[in-house]
Amino acid sequence: MKRKTDFIMQNVAGENLLVPLGARMMDLNGLITLNDTAACVWELLAQERTLVELASAVAERFDVTPELARDDVQTFMDEIAKMGLLES
Amino acid sequence: MTAARVALPTDYGPLVSELHRRAATRRQPVNGTFELTERCNLTCQMCYVRQAAGDQAVRTKELSTPEWLELARQAVDHGMVFLLLTGGEVFLRPDFFEIYTPLTRLGLILTLFTNGTLITEARAARLAEAPPSRTEITLYGATATTYEAVTGVPGSYARCCAGIEALVKHRVPLGLKTTITRHNVGELDAMRQMAHDWGLPFSAGWLLSQRRDGAPSEAAACRLSAAECVALEATDRASATEWTETALREASLGPDRNFYCQAGQAAFVVNPRGEMNACIDLPLPAARPLETGFRAAWEQVQRFVDTAPPLAPSCLACDARAYCPRCPAWSALETDTLTEPVPYLCEIAQARKGRYGQPA
Repeated sequence: MKRKTDFIMQNVAGENLLVPLGARMMDLNGLITLNDTAACVWELLAQERTLVELASAVAERFDVTPELARDDVQTFMDEIAKMGLLES
Repeated sequence: MTAARVALPTDYGPLVSELHRRAATRRQPVNGTFELTERCNLTCQMCYVRQAAGDQAVRTKELSTPEWLELARQAVDHGMVFLLLTGGEVFLRPDFFEIYTPLTRLGLILTLFTNGTLITEARAARLAEAPPSRTEITLYGATATTYEAVTGVPGSYARCCAGIEALVKHRVPLGLKTTITRHNVGELDAMRQMAHDWGLPFSAGWLLSQRRDGAPSEAAACRLSAAECVALEATDRASATEWTETALREASLGPDRNFYCQAGQAAFVVNPRGEMNACIDLPLPAARPLETGFRAAWEQVQRFVDTAPPLAPSCLACDARAYCPRCPAWSALETDTLTEPVPYLCEIAQARKGRYGQPA
Protein backbone atom coordinates (compact mmCIF):
# COMPACT_ATOMS: atom_id res chain seq x y z
CA MET A 1 0.00 0.00 0.00
CA LYS A 2 1.12 3.50 -0.85
CA ARG A 3 -0.51 6.89 -0.70
CA LYS A 4 -1.31 9.03 -3.68
CA THR A 5 0.86 12.06 -4.24
CA ASP A 6 -1.85 14.65 -4.75
CA PHE A 7 -2.09 15.62 -1.09
CA ILE A 8 0.36 17.48 1.11
CA MET A 9 0.36 17.28 4.89
CA GLN A 10 0.57 20.70 6.56
CA ASN A 11 0.83 21.56 10.23
CA VAL A 12 -1.25 24.34 11.74
CA ALA A 13 -0.47 24.92 15.39
CA GLY A 14 0.10 21.22 15.98
CA GLU A 15 -2.87 20.06 13.90
CA ASN A 16 -2.03 17.88 10.90
CA LEU A 17 -3.99 18.79 7.77
CA LEU A 18 -4.11 17.02 4.45
CA VAL A 19 -4.45 19.61 1.72
CA PRO A 20 -5.47 18.46 -1.76
CA LEU A 21 -3.31 19.56 -4.67
CA GLY A 22 -4.40 20.79 -8.06
CA ALA A 23 -7.48 19.13 -9.47
CA ARG A 24 -8.03 17.10 -6.31
CA MET A 25 -9.50 20.22 -4.74
CA MET A 26 -12.53 19.63 -6.93
CA ASP A 27 -13.10 16.16 -5.44
CA LEU A 28 -12.58 17.08 -1.83
CA ASN A 29 -13.19 20.69 -1.00
CA GLY A 30 -12.63 20.42 2.72
CA LEU A 31 -10.03 19.66 5.30
CA ILE A 32 -8.85 16.27 6.46
CA THR A 33 -7.29 16.33 9.89
CA LEU A 34 -5.04 13.55 11.11
CA ASN A 35 -4.10 12.72 14.66
CA ASP A 36 -0.45 12.01 15.40
CA THR A 37 -0.74 8.28 14.77
CA ALA A 38 -2.49 8.81 11.47
CA ALA A 39 0.08 11.42 10.48
CA CYS A 40 2.84 8.92 11.25
CA VAL A 41 1.19 6.30 9.04
CA TRP A 42 0.62 8.87 6.29
CA GLU A 43 4.32 9.73 6.26
CA LEU A 44 5.27 6.05 6.08
CA LEU A 45 2.90 5.55 3.16
CA ALA A 46 5.13 7.70 0.98
CA GLN A 47 6.66 4.32 0.15
CA GLU A 48 5.02 0.96 -0.48
CA ARG A 49 4.19 -0.59 2.93
CA THR A 50 2.44 -3.66 4.26
CA LEU A 51 -0.05 -3.60 7.10
CA VAL A 52 2.44 -5.48 9.25
CA GLU A 53 5.15 -2.91 8.62
CA LEU A 54 2.86 -0.03 9.43
CA ALA A 55 1.51 -1.66 12.59
CA SER A 56 5.00 -2.49 13.75
CA ALA A 57 6.15 1.11 13.28
CA VAL A 58 3.12 2.47 15.12
CA ALA A 59 3.54 -0.01 17.98
CA GLU A 60 7.14 1.03 18.40
CA ARG A 61 6.59 4.78 18.02
CA PHE A 62 3.55 4.99 20.32
CA ASP A 63 4.44 2.21 22.76
CA VAL A 64 1.31 0.08 22.30
CA THR A 65 0.69 -3.58 21.64
CA PRO A 66 1.04 -4.82 18.05
CA GLU A 67 -2.59 -6.00 18.10
CA LEU A 68 -3.94 -2.58 19.04
CA ALA A 69 -1.63 -0.87 16.56
CA ARG A 70 -2.80 -3.17 13.76
CA ASP A 71 -6.46 -2.46 14.50
CA ASP A 72 -5.86 1.27 14.49
CA VAL A 73 -3.83 1.21 11.30
CA GLN A 74 -6.44 -0.97 9.58
CA THR A 75 -9.19 1.48 10.56
CA PHE A 76 -7.20 4.39 9.19
CA MET A 77 -6.35 2.57 5.98
CA ASP A 78 -10.01 1.72 5.44
CA GLU A 79 -10.97 5.36 5.85
CA ILE A 80 -8.39 6.81 3.49
CA ALA A 81 -9.07 4.04 0.96
CA LYS A 82 -12.72 5.11 0.94
CA MET A 83 -11.58 8.68 0.26
CA GLY A 84 -9.47 7.51 -2.64
CA LEU A 85 -6.19 8.54 -1.06
CA LEU A 86 -4.38 5.24 -1.71
CA GLU A 87 -2.79 4.02 -4.91
CA SER A 88 -4.92 1.22 -6.30
CA MET B 1 -3.88 6.62 22.56
CA THR B 2 -3.12 5.12 19.21
CA ALA B 3 -6.30 5.33 17.22
CA ALA B 4 -5.60 6.43 13.69
CA ARG B 5 -8.46 8.59 12.59
CA VAL B 6 -9.44 10.83 9.79
CA ALA B 7 -11.89 13.62 10.37
CA LEU B 8 -13.63 15.09 7.39
CA PRO B 9 -15.19 18.24 8.72
CA THR B 10 -18.81 18.74 7.95
CA ASP B 11 -18.52 22.29 9.22
CA TYR B 12 -15.46 23.70 7.55
CA GLY B 13 -15.80 27.27 8.89
CA PRO B 14 -15.57 26.57 12.63
CA LEU B 15 -12.57 24.28 12.08
CA VAL B 16 -10.76 27.00 10.14
CA SER B 17 -11.55 29.55 12.84
CA GLU B 18 -10.21 27.24 15.51
CA LEU B 19 -7.03 26.60 13.50
CA HIS B 20 -6.49 30.34 13.17
CA ARG B 21 -7.04 30.88 16.87
CA ARG B 22 -4.49 28.21 17.72
CA ALA B 23 -2.01 29.49 15.13
CA ALA B 24 -2.28 32.96 16.69
CA THR B 25 -1.21 31.61 20.07
CA ARG B 26 1.97 30.33 18.41
CA ARG B 27 2.38 33.31 16.09
CA GLN B 28 2.37 31.01 13.09
CA PRO B 29 1.72 33.10 9.95
CA VAL B 30 -0.86 30.63 8.75
CA ASN B 31 -2.96 33.13 6.82
CA GLY B 32 -1.47 35.17 3.99
CA THR B 33 -2.93 37.65 1.56
CA PHE B 34 -1.15 38.50 -1.68
CA GLU B 35 -2.53 41.66 -3.20
CA LEU B 36 -1.31 41.06 -6.74
CA THR B 37 -2.24 44.49 -8.05
CA GLU B 38 -3.98 47.67 -6.97
CA ARG B 39 -5.15 48.29 -10.53
CA CYS B 40 -8.74 47.59 -11.50
CA ASN B 41 -10.80 47.71 -14.68
CA LEU B 42 -13.76 49.07 -12.71
CA THR B 43 -13.90 52.54 -11.17
CA CYS B 44 -16.18 52.10 -8.16
CA GLN B 45 -16.54 55.42 -6.34
CA MET B 46 -16.39 53.90 -2.87
CA CYS B 47 -13.37 51.62 -3.41
CA TYR B 48 -10.50 51.86 -0.91
CA VAL B 49 -7.87 50.93 -3.55
CA ARG B 50 -8.89 51.92 -7.08
CA GLN B 51 -5.84 52.48 -9.25
CA ALA B 52 -6.45 52.77 -12.98
CA ALA B 53 -6.11 49.57 -15.02
CA GLY B 54 -3.68 51.15 -17.44
CA ASP B 55 -1.54 53.04 -14.94
CA GLN B 56 1.96 52.04 -16.04
CA ALA B 57 3.66 53.82 -13.14
CA VAL B 58 1.70 51.66 -10.71
CA ARG B 59 2.17 48.54 -12.80
CA THR B 60 5.95 48.79 -12.97
CA LYS B 61 6.17 48.72 -9.17
CA GLU B 62 4.28 45.43 -8.92
CA LEU B 63 6.22 42.31 -7.95
CA SER B 64 7.11 39.99 -10.82
CA THR B 65 5.99 36.39 -11.19
CA PRO B 66 9.24 34.94 -9.75
CA GLU B 67 9.08 37.36 -6.82
CA TRP B 68 5.54 36.31 -5.87
CA LEU B 69 6.49 32.66 -6.13
CA GLU B 70 9.64 33.13 -4.05
CA LEU B 71 7.57 34.91 -1.43
CA ALA B 72 5.03 32.08 -1.43
CA ARG B 73 7.73 29.45 -0.98
CA GLN B 74 9.23 31.32 1.95
CA ALA B 75 5.81 31.86 3.52
CA VAL B 76 4.95 28.16 3.21
CA ASP B 77 8.27 27.31 4.85
CA HIS B 78 7.22 29.47 7.79
CA GLY B 79 3.76 27.95 8.14
CA MET B 80 1.41 29.65 5.68
CA VAL B 81 -1.44 27.31 4.72
CA PHE B 82 -4.27 29.69 3.78
CA LEU B 83 -3.60 32.17 0.97
CA LEU B 84 -5.93 34.80 -0.47
CA LEU B 85 -5.14 36.27 -3.89
CA THR B 86 -6.80 39.62 -4.37
CA GLY B 87 -6.49 43.04 -6.00
CA GLY B 88 -7.41 45.41 -7.53
CA GLU B 89 -8.50 42.96 -10.16
CA VAL B 90 -6.19 39.95 -10.26
CA PHE B 91 -7.02 39.04 -13.87
CA LEU B 92 -5.53 42.32 -15.06
CA ARG B 93 -2.18 40.65 -14.58
CA PRO B 94 -1.35 38.87 -17.83
CA ASP B 95 0.83 36.49 -15.81
CA PHE B 96 -1.98 35.54 -13.41
CA PHE B 97 -1.86 31.83 -14.22
CA GLU B 98 1.94 31.80 -14.15
CA ILE B 99 1.58 32.83 -10.50
CA TYR B 100 -1.56 30.87 -9.68
CA THR B 101 -0.78 27.45 -11.14
CA PRO B 102 2.47 26.85 -9.20
CA LEU B 103 0.69 27.96 -6.03
CA THR B 104 -1.79 25.12 -6.44
CA ARG B 105 1.12 22.66 -6.03
CA LEU B 106 2.37 24.07 -2.72
CA GLY B 107 -0.29 22.58 -0.44
CA LEU B 108 -2.13 25.85 0.07
CA ILE B 109 -5.82 26.40 0.66
CA LEU B 110 -6.37 29.13 -1.89
CA THR B 111 -9.05 31.79 -2.07
CA LEU B 112 -9.50 34.12 -5.02
CA PHE B 113 -11.25 37.51 -5.00
CA THR B 114 -12.26 38.96 -8.35
CA ASN B 115 -14.93 41.19 -9.84
CA GLY B 116 -15.61 38.48 -12.41
CA THR B 117 -15.69 40.79 -15.43
CA LEU B 118 -12.49 39.39 -16.95
CA ILE B 119 -13.37 35.73 -16.45
CA THR B 120 -13.79 34.24 -19.86
CA GLU B 121 -14.78 30.70 -20.74
CA ALA B 122 -11.11 29.85 -21.23
CA ARG B 123 -10.05 31.31 -17.87
CA ALA B 124 -12.86 29.48 -16.07
CA ALA B 125 -11.81 26.21 -17.70
CA ARG B 126 -8.21 26.82 -16.69
CA LEU B 127 -9.18 27.58 -13.10
CA ALA B 128 -11.20 24.36 -13.02
CA GLU B 129 -8.06 22.37 -13.79
CA ALA B 130 -6.82 23.21 -10.28
CA PRO B 131 -9.53 25.29 -8.64
CA PRO B 132 -9.15 27.47 -5.58
CA SER B 133 -10.90 26.28 -2.46
CA ARG B 134 -13.14 29.32 -2.85
CA THR B 135 -13.68 32.12 -5.34
CA GLU B 136 -15.60 35.24 -4.39
CA ILE B 137 -17.13 37.69 -6.84
CA THR B 138 -18.55 41.02 -5.75
CA LEU B 139 -21.85 42.05 -7.29
CA TYR B 140 -22.59 45.76 -7.39
CA GLY B 141 -26.21 45.58 -8.43
CA ALA B 142 -28.93 43.33 -9.79
CA THR B 143 -29.47 45.38 -12.94
CA ALA B 144 -27.05 46.80 -15.48
CA THR B 145 -28.20 50.32 -14.67
CA THR B 146 -27.41 50.09 -10.96
CA TYR B 147 -24.32 47.90 -11.30
CA GLU B 148 -22.76 50.24 -13.83
CA ALA B 149 -23.76 53.35 -11.88
CA VAL B 150 -21.49 51.96 -9.14
CA THR B 151 -18.67 50.60 -11.30
CA GLY B 152 -18.68 53.41 -13.84
CA VAL B 153 -18.02 51.01 -16.71
CA PRO B 154 -20.61 50.36 -19.45
CA GLY B 155 -20.99 46.67 -20.22
CA SER B 156 -19.45 45.54 -16.94
CA TYR B 157 -22.68 44.02 -15.60
CA ALA B 158 -23.05 41.65 -18.54
CA ARG B 159 -19.38 40.68 -18.34
CA CYS B 160 -19.67 39.99 -14.62
CA CYS B 161 -22.72 37.77 -15.16
CA ALA B 162 -20.91 35.95 -17.97
CA GLY B 163 -17.94 35.38 -15.65
CA ILE B 164 -20.21 33.94 -12.97
CA GLU B 165 -21.93 31.70 -15.51
CA ALA B 166 -18.57 30.41 -16.74
CA LEU B 167 -17.35 29.56 -13.24
CA VAL B 168 -20.65 27.86 -12.39
CA LYS B 169 -20.50 25.87 -15.62
CA HIS B 170 -16.98 24.67 -14.82
CA ARG B 171 -17.87 23.92 -11.18
CA VAL B 172 -15.25 26.25 -9.73
CA PRO B 173 -16.15 26.81 -6.04
CA LEU B 174 -17.82 30.20 -5.98
CA GLY B 175 -19.64 32.57 -3.68
CA LEU B 176 -21.14 35.98 -4.38
CA LYS B 177 -21.02 39.02 -2.15
CA THR B 178 -21.91 42.64 -2.45
CA THR B 179 -20.70 45.97 -1.20
CA ILE B 180 -23.79 47.96 -0.32
CA THR B 181 -23.86 51.67 -1.12
CA ARG B 182 -26.60 54.29 -1.34
CA HIS B 183 -26.85 53.46 -5.04
CA ASN B 184 -27.50 49.73 -4.84
CA VAL B 185 -29.08 49.16 -1.43
CA GLY B 186 -32.48 48.95 -3.10
CA GLU B 187 -31.33 45.88 -5.04
CA LEU B 188 -29.97 43.88 -2.12
CA ASP B 189 -32.85 41.42 -2.14
CA ALA B 190 -32.65 41.07 -5.91
CA MET B 191 -28.90 40.32 -5.69
CA ARG B 192 -29.58 37.74 -3.01
CA GLN B 193 -32.14 36.18 -5.35
CA MET B 194 -29.61 36.13 -8.22
CA ALA B 195 -27.19 34.18 -6.05
CA HIS B 196 -29.98 31.82 -5.01
CA ASP B 197 -30.92 31.23 -8.65
CA TRP B 198 -27.32 30.28 -9.44
CA GLY B 199 -27.21 28.07 -6.34
CA LEU B 200 -24.46 30.18 -4.82
CA PRO B 201 -23.87 31.45 -1.28
CA PHE B 202 -24.25 35.19 -0.79
CA SER B 203 -23.10 37.74 1.74
CA ALA B 204 -23.23 41.52 2.00
CA GLY B 205 -21.05 44.20 3.55
CA TRP B 206 -21.75 47.88 3.94
CA LEU B 207 -19.02 49.50 6.04
CA LEU B 208 -17.23 51.73 3.53
CA SER B 209 -13.88 53.20 4.48
CA GLN B 210 -11.81 55.99 2.95
CA ARG B 211 -9.05 55.27 0.44
CA ARG B 212 -5.96 53.57 1.78
CA ASP B 213 -3.57 55.88 -0.06
CA GLY B 214 -5.18 59.00 1.39
CA ALA B 215 -6.44 60.19 -2.01
CA PRO B 216 -9.84 61.90 -2.10
CA SER B 217 -12.66 59.40 -1.83
CA GLU B 218 -16.40 59.41 -2.33
CA ALA B 219 -16.86 56.68 0.28
CA ALA B 220 -18.53 59.03 2.75
CA ALA B 221 -21.12 60.06 0.17
CA CYS B 222 -21.77 56.42 -0.75
CA ARG B 223 -22.22 55.20 2.83
CA LEU B 224 -25.47 54.29 4.45
CA SER B 225 -26.22 56.21 7.62
CA ALA B 226 -25.46 54.48 10.92
CA ALA B 227 -29.17 53.89 11.51
CA GLU B 228 -29.55 52.40 8.02
CA CYS B 229 -26.56 50.10 8.59
CA VAL B 230 -27.94 48.77 11.84
CA ALA B 231 -31.42 48.32 10.40
CA LEU B 232 -29.92 46.45 7.46
CA GLU B 233 -27.74 44.15 9.53
CA ALA B 234 -30.75 43.29 11.69
CA THR B 235 -32.17 41.56 8.61
CA ASP B 236 -29.14 39.25 8.63
CA ARG B 237 -29.68 36.49 11.15
CA ALA B 238 -25.99 35.96 11.91
CA SER B 239 -25.37 39.64 12.64
CA ALA B 240 -28.50 40.02 14.72
CA THR B 241 -27.56 36.96 16.76
CA GLU B 242 -24.03 38.28 17.25
CA TRP B 243 -25.20 41.62 18.61
CA THR B 244 -27.91 40.08 20.75
CA GLU B 245 -25.28 37.86 22.33
CA THR B 246 -22.98 40.86 22.70
CA ALA B 247 -25.70 42.62 24.63
CA LEU B 248 -25.96 39.69 27.02
CA ARG B 249 -22.26 39.88 27.88
CA GLU B 250 -21.98 43.62 27.65
CA ALA B 251 -20.27 43.80 31.01
CA SER B 252 -17.15 42.33 29.41
CA LEU B 253 -17.09 45.39 27.16
CA GLY B 254 -14.99 44.14 24.28
CA PRO B 255 -11.34 44.12 23.38
CA ASP B 256 -8.84 46.04 25.45
CA ARG B 257 -6.06 45.53 22.94
CA ASN B 258 -5.88 47.86 19.99
CA PHE B 259 -5.24 45.04 17.48
CA TYR B 260 -7.77 42.35 18.40
CA CYS B 261 -8.04 40.31 15.18
CA GLN B 262 -5.60 37.85 13.59
CA ALA B 263 -3.51 40.65 12.02
CA GLY B 264 0.09 40.19 13.08
CA GLN B 265 -0.94 37.21 15.22
CA ALA B 266 -1.52 34.62 12.49
CA ALA B 267 -2.18 36.80 9.44
CA PHE B 268 -0.21 39.07 7.16
CA VAL B 269 -0.66 40.87 3.85
CA VAL B 270 1.82 41.56 1.09
CA ASN B 271 0.92 44.48 -1.15
CA PRO B 272 1.76 44.70 -4.87
CA ARG B 273 5.08 46.41 -4.15
CA GLY B 274 6.20 43.54 -1.90
CA GLU B 275 5.65 45.27 1.44
CA MET B 276 4.41 43.06 4.26
CA ASN B 277 1.76 44.62 6.47
CA ALA B 278 -0.49 43.53 9.28
CA CYS B 279 -3.72 44.23 7.42
CA ILE B 280 -4.86 45.00 3.89
CA ASP B 281 -6.41 48.28 5.04
CA LEU B 282 -3.31 49.43 6.90
CA PRO B 283 -0.05 49.91 4.96
CA LEU B 284 2.16 49.38 8.01
CA PRO B 285 4.82 48.42 8.98
CA ALA B 286 5.83 47.98 5.31
CA ALA B 287 8.36 45.24 6.03
CA ARG B 288 10.37 43.97 3.05
CA PRO B 289 10.37 40.14 3.04
CA LEU B 290 12.14 39.81 -0.30
CA GLU B 291 15.03 41.88 1.03
CA THR B 292 15.20 40.82 4.68
CA GLY B 293 13.79 37.30 4.37
CA PHE B 294 10.31 36.23 5.39
CA ARG B 295 11.12 35.55 9.04
CA ALA B 296 12.53 39.01 9.72
CA ALA B 297 9.59 40.65 7.96
CA TRP B 298 7.04 38.59 9.90
CA GLU B 299 8.81 39.46 13.15
CA GLN B 300 8.63 43.13 12.20
CA VAL B 301 4.88 42.83 11.62
CA GLN B 302 4.46 41.12 15.00
CA ARG B 303 6.46 43.87 16.74
CA PHE B 304 4.35 46.53 15.06
CA VAL B 305 1.15 44.93 16.35
CA ASP B 306 2.55 44.18 19.80
CA THR B 307 3.79 47.73 20.35
CA ALA B 308 0.76 49.53 18.92
CA PRO B 309 -0.52 52.32 21.16
CA PRO B 310 -3.45 51.45 23.42
CA LEU B 311 -7.04 52.40 22.78
CA ALA B 312 -7.91 56.07 23.13
CA PRO B 313 -9.27 56.96 26.59
CA SER B 314 -12.57 57.98 25.05
CA CYS B 315 -12.92 54.52 23.49
CA LEU B 316 -12.01 52.78 26.75
CA ALA B 317 -14.65 54.81 28.53
CA CYS B 318 -17.32 54.32 25.86
CA ASP B 319 -20.40 52.39 26.98
CA ALA B 320 -20.96 51.08 23.43
CA ARG B 321 -17.45 49.71 22.94
CA ALA B 322 -18.63 46.10 22.79
CA TYR B 323 -20.66 46.99 19.69
CA CYS B 324 -17.93 48.95 17.91
CA PRO B 325 -16.13 47.70 14.79
CA ARG B 326 -13.29 50.24 15.10
CA CYS B 327 -9.78 48.87 14.76
CA PRO B 328 -6.38 50.50 14.09
CA ALA B 329 -6.93 50.22 10.34
CA TRP B 330 -10.21 52.12 10.54
CA SER B 331 -8.58 54.78 12.70
CA ALA B 332 -5.71 55.06 10.23
CA LEU B 333 -8.06 55.38 7.25
CA GLU B 334 -10.37 57.92 8.86
CA THR B 335 -8.24 59.82 11.38
CA ASP B 336 -4.64 59.23 10.31
CA THR B 337 -3.88 57.76 13.75
CA LEU B 338 -3.93 54.18 15.05
CA THR B 339 -6.13 54.98 17.99
CA GLU B 340 -8.62 57.77 17.58
CA PRO B 341 -12.38 57.13 17.48
CA VAL B 342 -14.04 57.07 14.07
CA PRO B 343 -17.22 59.16 14.35
CA TYR B 344 -19.13 57.07 11.78
CA LEU B 345 -18.36 53.89 13.73
CA CYS B 346 -19.21 55.60 17.02
CA GLU B 347 -22.67 56.27 15.60
CA ILE B 348 -23.01 52.65 14.49
CA ALA B 349 -21.93 51.34 17.91
CA GLN B 350 -24.44 53.57 19.66
CA ALA B 351 -27.20 52.56 17.24
CA ARG B 352 -26.43 48.88 17.88
CA LYS B 353 -26.46 49.44 21.62
CA GLY B 354 -29.77 51.21 21.26
CA ARG B 355 -31.22 48.30 19.33
CA TYR B 356 -29.76 45.33 21.20
CA GLY B 357 -28.62 46.70 24.56
CA GLN B 358 -30.20 45.75 27.85
CA PRO B 359 -32.33 48.44 29.50
CA ALA B 360 -30.48 50.17 32.34
